[in-house]
Amino acid sequence: MMRSRSWEKVFFTILGAPAAICLTVFFWITSVLLTGIGTIRLNLLTTSALQGGLFEMIVGTAYLLLGAAGVAGPVGVFAAIHLTEYARHGRLIRVIDQAINNLAGMPSILIGLFGYAFFCRQLGLGISLASGWLTLALMMLPIVIRGTEEAIKMVPYNFKEAALALGASKWETVKSVTVPSAAPGIITSILLGMARVAGETAAILFTSCVLVTRGLPKSPFEPVMALAFNLFVKIVALGESPDKVFGIALILFLLVISFASVGIALRIYYRRKQPWLR
Amino acid sequence: MAEVDIRKLNVWFKDNHVLKDLTLTIEENAVTAIMGPSGCGKSTLLRAINRMNETIDGCRTTGEIYIDGQNIYNGNTDVYELRRRVGMVFQKPNPLPKSIFENVAFGVKIHKLADGKKLNEIVERSLKEAVLWDEVKDRLHESAFSLSGGQQQRLCIARALAVNPEIILLDEPCSALDPIATQKIETLMRKLAEKYTVIIVTHNVQQAARVSDYVAFLYLGKLIEYGPTKQVFESPKHELTERYITGEFG
Repeated sequence: MMRSRSWEKVFFTILGAPAAICLTVFFWITSVLLTGIGTIRLNLLTTSALQGGLFEMIVGTAYLLLGAAGVAGPVGVFAAIHLTEYARHGRLIRVIDQAINNLAGMPSILIGLFGYAFFCRQLGLGISLASGWLTLALMMLPIVIRGTEEAIKMVPYNFKEAALALGASKWETVKSVTVPSAAPGIITSILLGMARVAGETAAILFTSCVLVTRGLPKSPFEPVMALAFNLFVKIVALGESPDKVFGIALILFLLVISFASVGIALRIYYRRKQPWLR
Repeated sequence: MAEVDIRKLNVWFKDNHVLKDLTLTIEENAVTAIMGPSGCGKSTLLRAINRMNETIDGCRTTGEIYIDGQNIYNGNTDVYELRRRVGMVFQKPNPLPKSIFENVAFGVKIHKLADGKKLNEIVERSLKEAVLWDEVKDRLHESAFSLSGGQQQRLCIARALAVNPEIILLDEPCSALDPIATQKIETLMRKLAEKYTVIIVTHNVQQAARVSDYVAFLYLGKLIEYGPTKQVFESPKHELTERYITGEFG
């Protein structure tokens, strides 16, 4: 007995190692980035890129993110509702399921390439905000669909039964019971999807971004500036030294972290508020 | 109030033949108890009356159930309207994740029966009818989950009453409740029978004896005995019934 106990401890220690590594790397990145704090001044955030500021990149990134969420949110949520509540389980659904998994694992450079070929060229949207929204939405979709499916499956069956037994139709049940109960999980999955694409570079590389624009885009059909894209181009193409772009890196980092944190905080908040999820 | 006339009812779940050729007429204005050991098909019989069985995959039903002379299993029955007329209360209290008020108002809104002031009146009347009003009148907009189990169950009864049903189905409504809450629900059932057709499923023989006017005894999907409660309990015709009532099996 003693022997197996001590083995157990050894194994658990080994299993704990990856967690420890993750934490270490995370704090290392954080500390490296925080050293960049010195290089940014607050007015950089509001200064135009033409004067060496970050304003258009920050707002451009926000435009990209919100637009992508605006596309992937509704599409993903309705897809998930269909898959969980309406679709009959069969071969077609299995194929769709697998396609969603594949889309989730697709390298973003390929999604970017597809976006360029299809949205920019085929649909004629050109290098524009709109092409970026659609391309990023493709990357968000699997996260939104899977997250929403999970949230819907967490809604206890007896809620739906209660509504059906009162004479509610299936759609009324979905609309007024299932989706409101799953809403926190749905919102969380959209936020996590946004966190996933907030730092995305490859997908916007040749679909929506340029290095410098004169002010903010005036329509969805104009190109846009973005933090991740600028960071990439400044280092790779312009050969600027890394300490020059610390500011951009830090803002990008904080942006991604804050989306993920808000998502997680919301999830915790609603778990407390919704006793049936405990 | 409505009479429920069940004719040659058979229900299958996939290959499992759960109810076999059931024929019985459930009286209006009375409490009818369906009793029997676990797995005998009591709940399935109850859920056949509001066609809730068909929300489960693989369910197949043959035979007829007439409510006020109309076969609810013919093609042109509006199942949503049927479920308004036949209210249901479940084994485990299942309030919706909404306020107390919204729970009672839910069905009324779904069926567009009333809104505004009239809706408030319906909610109040239903909660009074379920003997819950005095306990919740000052906290109507609190979550339904803030209520105790017994209160939640009465809320579910109020919710079913709000849409003007004729029949109330109760599926072991007290099995998750303590004795005091159970007693309140039983008293309530007696009162409801003055106005509605009340059908209750129970595996509790004493409860069937206490609350019902008529009792049906089911065993392995078959109707073994059906009659006035007094008669069935005092002089059961079938040996199985007698053994079940005396607690020999169950």
